[in-house]
Amino acid sequence: MKLTYKNNSFNIALIVLAVIIVFFLSVPILKMFVGVGSDKLIDTIKDGEVISSILLTMKVSLWAMIFVIFTGLPLAYLIARYDFFGKSFLEAIIDIPIMIPHTAAGIALLSTFGDTGLGGFFKIFGIEFVGTEYGIMIAMMFLSAPFLINAAKDGFRKVDPKLEKVARTLGASPFRVFFAISIPNARKDIVNGALMMWSRGLGEFGAVIILVYHPMTTPVLIFDRFSSYGLSYSAPVAAVIIGFSALVFLIIRFIANRFD
Amino acid sequence: MSYLSIKNLSNSVAGFSLENICLDIEKGEYFVLLGQSGSGKTRLLEAIAGLDSSSGSIHYKEDEISEKNPEHRDIGFVYQDFALFPNLNVEENIVFSGRYREIEDAQEHFKDIVDFLELKDLLDRCIKDLSGGEKQRVALARALYSKPKILLLDEPLSAIDPTFRNAIMKKLKEIHRRYDLTTIHVTHNFREASYLADKIAVIMNGKIEQIGSPDEVLNHPKTIEIAKFLGFKNIFPASLINDKNKSKYFSVDPNVIRIVKEQNVCCDYIFEGVVEECMGITDHFKLFVKVDENHFFIKIPKREYENCLSNSKHSIRIGFDEKDVSYI
Repeated sequence: MKLTYKNNSFNIALIVLAVIIVFFLSVPILKMFVGVGSDKLIDTIKDGEVISSILLTMKVSLWAMIFVIFTGLPLAYLIARYDFFGKSFLEAIIDIPIMIPHTAAGIALLSTFGDTGLGGFFKIFGIEFVGTEYGIMIAMMFLSAPFLINAAKDGFRKVDPKLEKVARTLGASPFRVFFAISIPNARKDIVNGALMMWSRGLGEFGAVIILVYHPMTTPVLIFDRFSSYGLSYSAPVAAVIIGFSALVFLIIRFIANRFD
Repeated sequence: MSYLSIKNLSNSVAGFSLENICLDIEKGEYFVLLGQSGSGKTRLLEAIAGLDSSSGSIHYKEDEISEKNPEHRDIGFVYQDFALFPNLNVEENIVFSGRYREIEDAQEHFKDIVDFLELKDLLDRCIKDLSGGEKQRVALARALYSKPKILLLDEPLSAIDPTFRNAIMKKLKEIHRRYDLTTIHVTHNFREASYLADKIAVIMNGKIEQIGSPDEVLNHPKTIEIAKFLGFKNIFPASLINDKNKSKYFSVDPNVIRIVKEQNVCCDYIFEGVVEECMGITDHFKLFVKVDENHFFIKIPKREYENCLSNSKHSIRIGFDEKDVSYI
């Protein structure tokens, strides 16, 4: 039930405080587009280096998201459905990347997957993490996977276990129940989590720059242009990636809502 | 061996245990499992369906099915809140089992169920748009479509508007016969049990306390706890009526206890007591009479007495006949 709006001092205080935070959240974004000017935006869109950097960022973030859908959903389901020894510890581990500085995460990843035994092991399969798209992917995944895993965990918790039990009595194996009942009924949270993870991956900078400077993701390109040429060269790139991200985000949200 | 034979079924989860449950259920029997909330009824149904791990054995037509997965047990399950799949519409819910099992004469069977349960106009509807009664019919249809041999019903009438309960109870009986089922119906409502059951088992704290015909269980409870659960009133030590048989307690229905007005003997047992309280309720009075240390509860129709006997304490004589006494 929603409360009826009344023009009292409490509501006025709520609105004033809300307007302050909305100002800080929205004005810098709007300023990106208004301040840059249409000529510079069009030039930037035509700039091959910018476009390939945006496509690379979106593509690798998508890879990371797909990888976590395959591996993170089973983990989220396990946590949501079962009680087991070390469950709280496991949940804490999943949340750690959200809390640590991203550059620290980059150092941790470099120490693990760089010139180390584990890095050497992956090299056997042709997978190298320093200076490659795999490196970008692992940095994005490390820092943004918790958004998808936690959202999916909440989604699975909302699915009544009785639905899964009834489906078993109707002939479905546990695998089929997972795909026919558990995932479809948790899809809203899963889609939200996947979008959060993907968009969070787009903005990943601190960890990516330590593992991979080239090929340049858009955040690295913006930093590179800002440090080499100043604000006027980096701002249009920022505006374009914001625009592209918002567009993709809206399209996916629209499609997800249509199927809801 | 019985059609469905459960031997020493036990399980323990979160501090609650089912202890050595033994049940023999015959083919075509409507078996009602009667128990209070938290007595382990749903847990027992889930264990029979293989949804809850347990020890002991379950034999179905002499085959041991305890080790089989739920999807291979030929058991239909209808939960109290129906557990319909929100991601599927009504028709998709009903035919769900068809995705994983071969249903013989599927189209005819589907049409028969839809006609019988009057679901034709609901087939395209979303689950969230259904009423409680409609949801129940869809849940029954979904279970029946899979052609189970055993149907497990977990409090199927508790979420239904009381005005429709009698009609639905009738329908449940029809379903049971029409689809040649063996049904286990869980409830806490003994009226439901007396109408539906061929056999009743009373479950308390995870143990089966009594099994028998509806008359046996509902009129002759084995223990004082079962009697109280079944709504028996006026439960007193048998010594009060000089009982010669071995029962420790007896009970007498508040409706058959009479107030003895004249001196002549009208009843087999007559007691003198003190009226403690008299409450006027629509068409009858509730009278509470203390006889020695025992408190009798009596219902007297208002047509027999114009006013409540008295709200002040005074002596009266009450009586009842031997034929109205139930020994426990």
